[in-house]
Amino acid sequence: MTSKRPFTYTTDAVVLRISNLGEADRIVTLITPVHGLIRGVAKSARKPNSKLGGHLDLFRHVIVSVRETRSLHGLSQVSTINGFRGLRDNLQRFSHAAYVSELSERFSVESGANRPLFQLLINVLDSLETTTQEELIVRFFEMRLLQLNGFAPELSRCVETGVELEPNNHFYSPDQGGLIHNNYQPSGETAVLPASLNTIKLLRFLSKTDITQAGNVKAKENDIRQLSRILREQIHHVLDRRLRSEPFMDEIRSRNLYISKHIDRSGSD
Amino acid sequence: MTSSDIARSAAPPVARLIEAFHRLPGIGPKSAQRLTYHLIRMPQEEANEFAAAILGVKEKIVLCNICANISEGEECAICSDLQRDQTRICVVEEPLDVIAIERANVFSGQYHVLHGIISPVNGIGPKDLKLRELISRLQNQTIEEIIIATSPNLEGDATAMYIQKLIGPLGITITRLARGLPSGSDIEYADDSTLAHALESRTEIPLSPDNTSG
Repeated sequence: MTSKRPFTYTTDAVVLRISNLGEADRIVTLITPVHGLIRGVAKSARKPNSKLGGHLDLFRHVIVSVRETRSLHGLSQVSTINGFRGLRDNLQRFSHAAYVSELSERFSVESGANRPLFQLLINVLDSLETTTQEELIVRFFEMRLLQLNGFAPELSRCVETGVELEPNNHFYSPDQGGLIHNNYQPSGETAVLPASLNTIKLLRFLSKTDITQAGNVKAKENDIRQLSRILREQIHHVLDRRLRSEPFMDEIRSRNLYISKHIDRSGSD
Repeated sequence: MTSSDIARSAAPPVARLIEAFHRLPGIGPKSAQRLTYHLIRMPQEEANEFAAAILGVKEKIVLCNICANISEGEECAICSDLQRDQTRICVVEEPLDVIAIERANVFSGQYHVLHGIISPVNGIGPKDLKLRELISRLQNQTIEEIIIATSPNLEGDATAMYIQKLIGPLGITITRLARGLPSGSDIEYADDSTLAHALESRTEIPLSPDNTSG
């Protein structure tokens, strides 16, 4: 009788989720380029002297050795490639990183290789560390995520009639995944969102650009808000659920807006 | 063999207890089975004491009105001790952290237990923590310093930053526990964040009497 030896491999990974197990162990959810999502146990990771604990913190890009088992894999020999320290001292960046990390988990499966998504996540975390345009970087992530998973929004033709759209304000339908002509009278069941000409331009730009260009765009607050609503509603429609990290992200955003408005007001006084 | 397989082949009261133990954190089906059969062999008196201890915890334990720590009365022993420093509050995640800090015997102030940590990916936000209670405490008491003792990880940092934003306008000194290399560890295995904190918080080695003489 031959016993099957456990399979061990070393991989790049980003830590997406952490929870405690037993006395001092940690369950870690990782996203990898080749093996998809991995859930593994890091033994004694919560002890102060652990060699793993410091490396297996949220949103870290690490190299980890994985010992496959039938349930939770064993994690060992972890070293950090990039700890994204810039996400650690800014609450807004942290909230955005939590959102993109949760989205990456929702759009991934175990044993499902997804190299482009992994690379996208690394690029976005890297960019979030330093950018001042966090909102647009996150919107870029949402757009690219939809494209990678076959849900690219239709932005040039009306999804109801197929007619090419002229430069104007139109509507967006998350149900149908694209823009709807402003002449179209939506029936009671079709939820449509307003899409101004500037928002449509932003959507088209994000669908074609790279992350560096996305971070350099100058856009009005109202257009970014409309863009955010459209992309987030589209993602809710695809996933059929809202994300757990959204309320916190929204709270931090509105808190920052409140503070910056007060600073502006006191500065103008 | 899963816990439900074991439960099916055992007598119903035994099966119920195995299932009950299995629901506890860190207890697998085998451990649940072992604990159950240990209890079966336990003398009746000991078993009664064990059952009474479990019921006592559920019936008599409440959260302290002041610090939200686990307490037998409306105020816990620490909050009702007037010998302790009333001007310093150490903010911790869980009641177990209070025990850990008290064990070190180096802090004589008061505590505030948040009962969690901000964890957006797990859907835990500031509203799920005892932050409102902390704010009202700070408004009604004269506090000089808040020591934030959340875990030294990203979620602990985020919780500390959130508290800092929240109570910053009150003008109270806010500090965090120092971070760096743990005693007995190897630098070789330290992650970049720990090393960075250790370097940033480095301290000068004071001259000892031996050095000054020569």
